[in-house]
Amino acid sequence: MSLPAVARKDFRETVQSRGMIALIALFSLLVSLLAFIVRPTAQNEQFATEALLSFFVGPVLVTYLVPLVGVVVGYSAVSGERESGSLKLLLSLPHSRADVVFGKVVGRGAALALAVFAGFLLPAAVLVVIPVTFNAGAFLGYTVFAAALGVVFVAISVGCSAAVSTQLRALIGSIGVYVLFVLLWGLLTGRLLDAVPGSVVDALPASARQIEVFLRVSNPTTGVVEVLSNAFLAEQLFSGETASQQLSAAAMLVFWTLAPPLAGLLKFDADDL
Amino acid sequence: MTAIELRGVRKEFADVTAVRDLDLTVEDGEVYGFLGPNGAGKSTTINMLLELVRPTAGTVRVLGADVETDGVEIRRRTGVLPDGFSVYDRLSGRRHVEFAVESKDADDDPDALLDRVGLAGDGDRSAGEYSKGMRQRLALAMALVADPDLLVLDEPSSGLDPAGAKEMREIVRAEADRGATVFFSSHILEQVDAVCDRVGILRDGELVAEDSVEGLREAVGGEETLEVAAAGADDEAIASVRALAGVSGVTRDGDELVVNCASDAKTDVIAALEEAGVAVDDFHTREASLEDLFLAYTEGDAAEGDADSVAPDPDDPDSAASDRPDDDAAAEGVDS
Repeated sequence: MSLPAVARKDFRETVQSRGMIALIALFSLLVSLLAFIVRPTAQNEQFATEALLSFFVGPVLVTYLVPLVGVVVGYSAVSGERESGSLKLLLSLPHSRADVVFGKVVGRGAALALAVFAGFLLPAAVLVVIPVTFNAGAFLGYTVFAAALGVVFVAISVGCSAAVSTQLRALIGSIGVYVLFVLLWGLLTGRLLDAVPGSVVDALPASARQIEVFLRVSNPTTGVVEVLSNAFLAEQLFSGETASQQLSAAAMLVFWTLAPPLAGLLKFDADDL
Repeated sequence: MTAIELRGVRKEFADVTAVRDLDLTVEDGEVYGFLGPNGAGKSTTINMLLELVRPTAGTVRVLGADVETDGVEIRRRTGVLPDGFSVYDRLSGRRHVEFAVESKDADDDPDALLDRVGLAGDGDRSAGEYSKGMRQRLALAMALVADPDLLVLDEPSSGLDPAGAKEMREIVRAEADRGATVFFSSHILEQVDAVCDRVGILRDGELVAEDSVEGLREAVGGEETLEVAAAGADDEAIASVRALAGVSGVTRDGDELVVNCASDAKTDVIAALEEAGVAVDDFHTREASLEDLFLAYTEGDAAEGDADSVAPDPDDPDSAASDRPDDDAAAEGVDS
């Protein structure tokens, strides 16, 4: 079992890249900017942490940026090493190809999580220090969801990376998934529901409402941003009336973390390198 | 035990058959040189040992285990210097070796290994700044982690200057003395001659010869060519030389006689000429160089039916020492 060695190697490599600093700076800057927008005014001493998160950080930063960063961190994981030739060095050591693929998911996922934590929490530290009421717990918890979503996209991209032989193809595949889940999901699924005649929906053993919920939790982005983190901010995580929805969303996150690397591994394992 | 055992191995790629019906055995503790021109299938064969490429047919066993099922376990006991690899640009040299140590669950001191391959003092630099030769040394250091039972070196001298290549040979020797089996590929003959117990020559995916370097030399033909500067030689003198036992041919080339003969007939040739009243000003013998030998196997017909003449004689006292691995034929000049 040499997965930890691969994970540590990839973590180090990712963290030592110049992009890592840029990423943390970008996250910090955006969080600061958004925090400035919702800063307490004379009438309102209360710093609107929940508003900051659910109206600004969530829809903007977490929905669009974090998955994109996940793609960037993950897409070159295997295909990049394959193209450069360092994969030969890696597979000369006693690693199975499964160790390589999942080690990379763990290592790069951890690096991305670190970037999200550092980028989100550095500006938050200022909010804690200055004399405003700031809900640090909510902010910290929300950061965990953001990091989890990033890790899911790292896993998807590493899966793409393992399945194809060049970086370019891995990038195209990963961006394709990003476009589907992040940009087009609502549009496509909306169209789908509209296009299907009511009679067909009636024939299915599920209501239109159930299908809509299913589509929402199937997508890791909406699962995190619309279902899980909102429930968390409402202090109803895994409880209240959406508990079962949340469980499904969480299960789908686990699925998206494991299935793409596994599918990529199947292809990678059969390849001559 | 056998370190490497290939039986009926065949590898077809989409458009080419890289290796065909290859049988190859490397015994424990042997230093085996795997020779062949570029594109002969050397790297494909090595990649099959490492499970990077899977054979279309046949079995590949390394260190007594099947590569297909026990690849990871095999590589735990194997050190590999791959061909055409690249390093992790952002990680330091020491991190590379540490990674190999971690991966093998070993406890080697990375600095001691860097020192051994001549990279002492460079461990803190990122490997992206290393020259080609330094990267080669770094990969060797990674290969030496955990005292492997088998070293697989694919073109180990590429990128190394002559001094580096010599150090590489010394390390190979030291590892062999420790008891490790060494399997390395090369298209540079001097490498092979200097360190190998046995060599195999691959051509178009087939093993066309396998023997000690001396054995191969004999198989190609033990004849030497004697060039005699003897301006005064007449037809009679030439006839008397031609009549000697061990002489297979005499031709005149200007003032020079070119005599093809067995090694031990050389003095007879000179004596016969002097007896015929011909003044011998100078003579050279020319031995088939390794380059000739190699070309004979990889381009010529020397390979016919020789693949099974496996006769390793690593104790042969004559081996290696007397050859000059120049591109030109090794020549010795004697004034008379």
